[in-house]
Amino acid sequence: MNSMKYNRKLQLGALLGVVILMSVGCKKMTDEYNAVGDPMLQKNLFEVISQNQSLSTFSKYLVETGLDKVLVSSKSYTVFAPSNESLILLDASIKGNPAKLKQFIANHISEELVSYSSSTPKKRIMMLNGKFNSIAPFSIESAVSSQANQYASNGILHTINMSVNALENCWEFIAGNAAAPLKQRNFLQSLFRNVFDPTNATVVGINPITGDPIYQKGTDSVYANMFLRNVHDLRDESKQFTVFVLADGGWDAEQAAYAKYFATGTADSTAFATAWNIVRDFAVDTLYTPAGLPDTVVSKFGAKLPINKSSIVASIKTSNGYVYVMSTLPVAPVLRFTTRVIEAEKYAASSTDRRSVTYFRDRYNDLSKKFFTDVLVLNHGVAMFNLRYDQAEIPAIKYKAYWVAVNDFQTATFTQKLGVGSPDALLLPYVNVAANVKGEIYLGEFSLTRYSPVLSFYLTAANSTANAANPLVCDYIKLVPSL
Amino acid sequence: MKICRMETALLLLVAAVFSTGCQKIFDIKPKDTLDQSQMYQNVYDADAAVLGIYGKFMGLADRYIILNELRGDLLDCTQNADENLRQISTHAVGVDNPYASPKPFYELILNCNDVLENFKKMKVQNKMTELEFNQRYSDIGALRSFIYLQLGIHFGKVPYVTSSIKNVDEVKNPDTYPVIGFDALLDSLIAFTEKLPYKDLYPAGSNLNITVDGYQTQKFFVNKKVILGDLYLWKGNYQSAAVNYREVMETGTQGVAGGQYYSLYKVGWDSNGDVDHYISYSRAGDASTLVQNTQWRIMFEQPFGSSGFDREWVWVLPFDSKFNPENPLIRLFSPVGGSYTVRPSQLVTDMWNAETQKPAQGGSIPYDARGLLSTKQIGGQPVVMKYLYNYLNYSSLLPVNPLAKTGKWFLFRQTHLHMRFSEAANRSRKHKLAWGLLNSGIAGAFPAPGSDVTNFHNTLNEPYPFNFDARNSGSTGVPYYRADWYRNIGIRSRANLVDLAIPASDSLLSIENGLIKETALENAFEGTRWPDLLRIAIRRNDPSFVADKVYNKLIKSGVSAGAASTARAKLLARDWYLPFKW
Repeated sequence: MNSMKYNRKLQLGALLGVVILMSVGCKKMTDEYNAVGDPMLQKNLFEVISQNQSLSTFSKYLVETGLDKVLVSSKSYTVFAPSNESLILLDASIKGNPAKLKQFIANHISEELVSYSSSTPKKRIMMLNGKFNSIAPFSIESAVSSQANQYASNGILHTINMSVNALENCWEFIAGNAAAPLKQRNFLQSLFRNVFDPTNATVVGINPITGDPIYQKGTDSVYANMFLRNVHDLRDESKQFTVFVLADGGWDAEQAAYAKYFATGTADSTAFATAWNIVRDFAVDTLYTPAGLPDTVVSKFGAKLPINKSSIVASIKTSNGYVYVMSTLPVAPVLRFTTRVIEAEKYAASSTDRRSVTYFRDRYNDLSKKFFTDVLVLNHGVAMFNLRYDQAEIPAIKYKAYWVAVNDFQTATFTQKLGVGSPDALLLPYVNVAANVKGEIYLGEFSLTRYSPVLSFYLTAANSTANAANPLVCDYIKLVPSL
Repeated sequence: MKICRMETALLLLVAAVFSTGCQKIFDIKPKDTLDQSQMYQNVYDADAAVLGIYGKFMGLADRYIILNELRGDLLDCTQNADENLRQISTHAVGVDNPYASPKPFYELILNCNDVLENFKKMKVQNKMTELEFNQRYSDIGALRSFIYLQLGIHFGKVPYVTSSIKNVDEVKNPDTYPVIGFDALLDSLIAFTEKLPYKDLYPAGSNLNITVDGYQTQKFFVNKKVILGDLYLWKGNYQSAAVNYREVMETGTQGVAGGQYYSLYKVGWDSNGDVDHYISYSRAGDASTLVQNTQWRIMFEQPFGSSGFDREWVWVLPFDSKFNPENPLIRLFSPVGGSYTVRPSQLVTDMWNAETQKPAQGGSIPYDARGLLSTKQIGGQPVVMKYLYNYLNYSSLLPVNPLAKTGKWFLFRQTHLHMRFSEAANRSRKHKLAWGLLNSGIAGAFPAPGSDVTNFHNTLNEPYPFNFDARNSGSTGVPYYRADWYRNIGIRSRANLVDLAIPASDSLLSIENGLIKETALENAFEGTRWPDLLRIAIRRNDPSFVADKVYNKLIKSGVSAGAASTARAKLLARDWYLPFKW
């Protein structure tokens, strides 16, 4: 009996012991399991850098620029730290200028996490200063990583063997660098305008007649450069451009050569139109390195620029591409002025609303073996009914005009014409549209004596109200420069 | 020691309570589901069983479309498709491909068998009237025949199991359930389906012909005569196929002669865009005015129970966020709210682009506009739209409600019916009738030279089922005629296409080719392409009929020439069935 009681107590005690042991042991075990065991992960990036003797210069600059505060934060970064030796030769103009120094140091830090391996993809990563640098396996730009993939609690550290300079972008070079030619710069700088932009505008009322918003004066526009807005925004760090800049002599020569094609009423307007039409072809959003520069570069507006490499005065690498300073860059008119094709069904306006008898027809052209869409206006009852097409930047040259107009809806031949500048212009005659002609028809040649920022073309029906005589049909209109 | 005794007593007590309680505890019936013993008590239980079968059948929707279309030439894989879908498309199916498993079909067949047996018991126990039994038994029986036909089409030799067994894996035991060939399977299915006691639709007033959750249920259920027609068509008994199809075509021919009378399943006009389902332009000849908010496209969007829907569709099942199962077709087809794993093939786009519309304002629009309505470009990618019109707005291509994945599973409509009737008629040497139903209707094929139509516009000199009366005397004709089929306009004419020209030297094969091609243009992606190709290939003993089409799809889809050639060689060797494995 006694022994039994004793046994029971013993059993109970043992059980209790096990429970206590378990509960105590568990806590310790999980703590250990979750504890950060790697000493590297107990330090942040700045601590790792500042404790590395070979990075003491970089560490010093970090403190100087205040970027050390960034590297102790809990966000993650990749730091490409240049060694002390590579920073000995740092330009005094950077050292002495706090803004430039910060720009320079920030060019070594990225918010994108990059761990190097032999299969690191080649790409451009954004740095803390907003610029982009190219990375490849164990390299950034032309610097090579001597000690890669050191990690800290908030990112990755790569030691590199030379610093990566924060270059100017294409626009900064052209607009601000003393090495950039003056005349083209001055023209580009002159293109700043107040441009309507309601993004940040304050609406102060609504027009009761049109229903359009009325904006507070001064808030409805932005001060913008026409080149950056209409050609390419050369300040965009995320893209890569190739830009050609003409030395002053070459600039003047091109102006002189093209002035006659951009004749206007005043010398100022002519000079402006000439310069604008020349300069807008000088930037492309494709990166051509000096080694990869082709013979011909096609601009956004279709001009074919012949690149003579011996005319390159300087090739400047920028943070977003290359700028080539050229002594001359002569472009023959035949290369600059391109053939224009106007799709007839995409008209801007019609002289009278006849949508109810306007047909956008889908057809197959068994001559060209292609599907096409054309426009047909039938039974409209209006003499000289016409459709308008607006074309921008038309130079003062001679054009040959053609159209494809498929009359598959009546056997009788009818006439229509292309009015240049006005519906009844006499530059081109009325032309027959015979039944079932599927090919291009030559309309004639016309010369323009003045340049037009916008020139309207009109597809004009016969001067008749008779239905059989005045249909209007066209697939496309083609204007071929005749130089 | 006292403690010990008390403990023992307590233990005994607990044991006693448990042992006596067990039976009662485990005998409690679940409160939210029915036990089998409580099922099949009355006709309402039978109705629930029928709906249960169809609910489970809907789980096969995506598999049905994948097998019947992706194996054919109109549907192709996108970049998002997984290896299993690619295997189906390139006819290189591995044994573990889940889409090629016959198991889900057999699970449903065993469920059908179970329901059929219980229905018989109920009839014996007088829990259903004779008529109630006939209707429900025939419905489930015909559905089972449809599933078996699918099995035959895709697997060739299959076990024909008609008894109720609990474990689906027993089906694979060849000693108990020997596999039979496709032809023998067709004989068994025809024998069974022909003997079903009730071949009409559930009549008005039946519990299975009502409106539930906004859905009119009549079109949910399989059309028994269509299944019989299909079975006879596969078998090569064209007379019996035509008889069964004709009976369905005459579904509307009853009561007062009006819109429904003349246009239900007759491909007839009703001067109402929601019913006519034409390809039309608000200004003929102006291609930019293709009508989208009504006419042809609307048949895929129309609600159950609307006139246009009822007169077009023979068999459709709804998917709705209000009830299960979830709509698998949005996942399959849609790049918005779905995975976009399949797309229209380049081949079907080319087929549409090779058609010519009726001339208007001069020449003809050089493509079939049904292509523009069956598919759309979303984000630059071609998308099969037929199943998405209840989910994506046809114009904005944005979801009406992103989370409400409403849609329909389209199984059969009047154009299938007319095309298959014509196939049977054509094989019965009624070439001109078949050509008329395909092109500009019966009156179009048998035109009258003047206003006296007495001896024209009809095929009344033919025996049933090929005797149609489409006489229409016009407003001034004497005598005045408006016969049953006078509004029949033909499938190509409805789609605004010119008639198919037939060479004088051959009508049989040219018309049959035209019918199969027209089903592709009209009913693309609706789950009949592979069966259509296979049926003709078997009938003509010409495997190139299917092999070359699949080859062309694969070549145009950018699959390697080697893979395309392998698929072609496989099909040319008549190796067109999936492995029967699970």
